[in-house]
Amino acid sequence: MAKKQTSREKFRIPETEAQRKKRLETIDKIEQLAKEVVEDIKKDQAPYLTVPLRGKSNAYHHPETNIIMPGDKVIKRRYMNVSHTKKFAQMLAVAQACKDDLLRENLHATIRDLYYMLLNIKVPGQKEAIVNDQKESNVISEDLEVALGVLREDLNLQADKKGSVVGNVVIESQGDEINWSKLGSGGWAIPSITDDVHFKSIDADFVLYVEKNAVWERLHEDRIWKDMNCILIATQGQSTRGARRLLHRFSNEFKLPIYVFTDADPWGWYIYSVLKYGSYALPHTSEQLATPTANFVGLTLTDVVNYGLEDIALKQKPVDIARAKEMLSYPVFQSPRWQTELKMSINKGIKAELQSLAKKRLTFISEEYIPEKLEKRDFLD
Amino acid sequence: MAEAQSAPTEKTINIHKDFKEHSVAEFFKKNRQMLGYSGKIVSLTTVIHEYVTNALDACEEAGILPEIYVKLDKLGHEHYKLIVEDNGPGIPKKLVGKVFATMLAGTKFHVFKQARGQQGIGAAGAVMFAQETTGKPTKIITGQGNNEVHEMRVAIDLKTNSAAISDEKIYSGRMRGTRVETELKHVLYQKSEQGPDEYIRRTMLVNPHAKLTYMDPDSITTVYDRASGQIPKQPKEAKPHPKGLETSDLMAYATKTKARSVASFLESEFTRMSNAKTKEIQDRVAFDMNKRPQDLRWEEAEQVCQAIEKISFIAPPTDVLIPIGQNNLEKALENILTPEFKDILTRPAGIFRGGVPFQIEVAIAYGGKSGKVGEAELEQLGEAKKDNIEIMRFANRTPLLFDSGGCAITKAIQSVDWKRYEIRPENPLTIMVNFTSIHVPYTGAGKQSIASEDEVLKEIRLALMEVGRKVGRYVAGKKKMYEQEQKKKTLEMYIKPVADSLAKITGESAERLESQLRQIIEAKYSAELEEAPEPEVEEEADEIPDEVAHELE
Repeated sequence: MAKKQTSREKFRIPETEAQRKKRLETIDKIEQLAKEVVEDIKKDQAPYLTVPLRGKSNAYHHPETNIIMPGDKVIKRRYMNVSHTKKFAQMLAVAQACKDDLLRENLHATIRDLYYMLLNIKVPGQKEAIVNDQKESNVISEDLEVALGVLREDLNLQADKKGSVVGNVVIESQGDEINWSKLGSGGWAIPSITDDVHFKSIDADFVLYVEKNAVWERLHEDRIWKDMNCILIATQGQSTRGARRLLHRFSNEFKLPIYVFTDADPWGWYIYSVLKYGSYALPHTSEQLATPTANFVGLTLTDVVNYGLEDIALKQKPVDIARAKEMLSYPVFQSPRWQTELKMSINKGIKAELQSLAKKRLTFISEEYIPEKLEKRDFLD
Repeated sequence: MAEAQSAPTEKTINIHKDFKEHSVAEFFKKNRQMLGYSGKIVSLTTVIHEYVTNALDACEEAGILPEIYVKLDKLGHEHYKLIVEDNGPGIPKKLVGKVFATMLAGTKFHVFKQARGQQGIGAAGAVMFAQETTGKPTKIITGQGNNEVHEMRVAIDLKTNSAAISDEKIYSGRMRGTRVETELKHVLYQKSEQGPDEYIRRTMLVNPHAKLTYMDPDSITTVYDRASGQIPKQPKEAKPHPKGLETSDLMAYATKTKARSVASFLESEFTRMSNAKTKEIQDRVAFDMNKRPQDLRWEEAEQVCQAIEKISFIAPPTDVLIPIGQNNLEKALENILTPEFKDILTRPAGIFRGGVPFQIEVAIAYGGKSGKVGEAELEQLGEAKKDNIEIMRFANRTPLLFDSGGCAITKAIQSVDWKRYEIRPENPLTIMVNFTSIHVPYTGAGKQSIASEDEVLKEIRLALMEVGRKVGRYVAGKKKMYEQEQKKKTLEMYIKPVADSLAKITGESAERLESQLRQIIEAKYSAELEEAPEPEVEEEADEIPDEVAHELE
C-alpha cells in the first residue's frame, strides 16, 4: 500500500535550484567533517574537531569594510580531553540532526525544535540527555556554523521570527506577491529567513529602524512611512537575523540610508552597533548581516536633556553602568560623541525610553522629534 | 582544721596521720569530678579506665602479656554492672585493701617513673564511686596462681581512709589474676566518643601487646587481638625531678620518707635537689622546713610546689621514657584501623618546664576504619561525612577522652594548616598523638587534658607536620587516581552517542567505531596510570555577552 502523502509533500513550495545546490553543499560539508573524525578513529588516533574560536578575543573591527570580522584563532575540540568530550559529542549530534532531519528532508527547524530533538539522544550512565538546556544546544549550533563555514540558515536552522515592517514595497515570497503598504495595522511579519524575498518594487527614500514594537505601532498609526516616504521596521530588542538581512539588502542592493532609533541606554546602543558592525559573538555573519552605512539618530542622552526629559528619565541599574563602562573601550564607540553619551550615562546614571517623548505629546515622536532629527542630520557615528 | 602544735609524742603522731588521711579521702569525696566522675557517661568510662589501667600496669610490671576481659551489663535505669578481669600476678590478700580502698596508697607514687595512672587514687576512686552511688562494696577475686583464690568485698571507710573488707572467702583454684565486679548507678552507657567502647578501642590501639575481650551491654563481643608479643620495657625508676611535682604527689612522698625534716626529705627523695635549692625553697615558703615530713600539711605542700615552679633546676636524664614504639604502633594501627596508608613518627625526647622530659609520638592513618566513620559505614551512609577526621589523644598510653578543647594536642592539631597537605575535613583520617613523660602536665585532676607548654606544643606540631606531609602526598595521589578514573568514565559515556552520530552521517558501522574509540581510551589510560597525565588544556572561554546571546534566540 502506498504511503499516504502528507500535506507538506502535497503542497510544499518547490525549492529553487540555487537553494538546492546550497543545501547539498552543506550536507557535503557535514559529511566531510564526520569523515575526518572517522579517519582519526580508524587510525587509532584521538579524534578532534577544529572550531574557530568565537568571542571578543578572536574578532576585530575591520577598518576598511567597517564591520566586525572573525580572527583566525581556532580551538581543537578533542574527544580525549574530558573538558571537551561532551561538546565534541554534542557537535556531532547537532551535525547529524541537521543533516538527516533537516537538510535531507528539506525541513526547517527553530533552535528550540533542535533542542527538543537532541533530548532524544541519551548518554549511557547518565540521567540527562546529551544536552541539558537550550543554551547548550544554541552554543553548539553556532560552533557548528563556524566550523563548517556556513550560516545557521544554511543548516535549515532558524531563530524565532520577530519584527514587523511596513512601507511602499511590493515583494514576492514563496510565490506570493505581498504589498507591505496594504497589510492593515500589523504590517508584514518578518520571517526568520529573508534571503528568498524578491523585491518587485520599492518606493522609499530611506529605512527607519526602531528598537521597539510599541514605537513602531505609534509611528505606523501616525503613518510616518507615508508622510516621510520610508520603510518602517521594528524587531523588539536585539534584531533577528531576518530583519538584519533585510536592512543589509536595503542598504546594499537599493542603497537606501538606514536610520536607527533605540532607547537611550547602553543596551539599546549596543543593538545599534550590532546592526551596523555585526557582533563579536558571531563575526562570521557580519558580511551577510551587518549594515555599516546605518546611522544612529536617537535616543541620545543629549536629546533627553535638550528635549527636557531629564526629570522623567529612569535610573540606571548597576549592570547598566557596568555595561556602559565596558562599551567605553569598544572600537565601534570611540567617536567623541559616543564617548560623551556613554560618559553621560555613567555620570548621570540615567536612561530613557523612546516612549518617554510622549510626555510632550503622544504624536510628538512622529510629528516633531524624528522629522527634526533627520532634517538636522543629527547622527552619531 | 585544728592546729596541733604540742610536742610530738607517739600519740599525737597517730592523730596527725589519721587526720591527714581522713582529709584526703574526704577531699576527694567532695571533689569527685576532679577524679573524672563528672557526668553519667564520663563516670562510667572513668571506672572502666581505672580498672583496665590497673590490669595493664599489673601485668606489665610482672612481665605478663595482658589478657583482659571486660563485661558491662545493664541492670536498670542508669544502673550497670561491670566486670574487669586480668591474667596479672594477682594481689596478695593483705594488700587488697590498700590497692582498692586507700586513697594515695597505690604502688605507683613511691617510685618516680613513667606510668599510666601516676596517682594512687584510681582504683580506690572507682570503689568509692560505686559505694557512693549504690551503697554496695566492690567484689574482688584474686589469685596468684598458688592454688589459693581470695574473694572479698571491699569498701572505703571514709573516716579512716582505710579498707572495710567483708564476706571474705578463700577457695582453692589455679586462678592467677584479679577480677573486679562492681555495680554502678547514675551512669550511662553510650556509643559516643566518650563512651566505654571508644575508650577500649583507643586503649588497645596503644597497647598492642594486650588482648582484650569486651562484651557491651547489648551482649556484643569485640575481641581485640594481640598484635605484638612484646611486653613494653619497664621504665627505669628514677628519683623524681622536682619540676612538675603536684601537691598530692608531694603529700604521698612525704608519708613514705625516712628523712627527718622536710628539707632533707626533699634533698634525698628528688633528683637535682641540692642544699642550695632547699634553701631557696625555704625562702619562698611560710613554714619551717625543719618540721617532720609526716607533719606536712596540704597547704604547706602546696607552697613547696609553688616555690619549685619558680626555681630553676638542672634537667633530669631522658632515658627514663619508654614510648610505644614504631613497631608496636604500626601493628596496632594495622590491627585496629586496617588503614590504606599510615605513617608513624617518634620525635626525639624533649624537656618542658625546665626539667620534665617528654616525648611525642604521632601516628596518622588514612582509609579502612580510620576516621570518625570508617569506609564501610560511610558507604552505608551514602554521603561524605563533613567532619570525619578523628583525633586520638594519649598520655602515657592512656586515652584522653574528655576536655579536648584545652588540650595541647588539640591545639597543636588545630595550628597545622592541613589544607596545605591537601587534607580536608571529610577525609577518613585518624590522627593519634601519644605524650610520654614521667610527669604529664595535666590541666586538672581529671587528667584528661595536657597543658599547653610551649615546648610540648612545638614538638607535637613538628611531628604532625611531618606525618601530614606524607599522608598529604598519599591523599593527593589517590585523588589524582580517582580523577583519572572519573575522566575515563566520562570519556566512555560518550562513546555511544559519538559513534551513533558518526555512523549515521557517514554510514560506517557504529559497533566498529564504538570498539575503536574504546581502544583509544584504554590505550591512553593504561599508559597514563603509570606516568603523570598531560596537563589539560582548557578551552578558552567564549566571551559572549548575554545580550548578544539574546540576538541568537
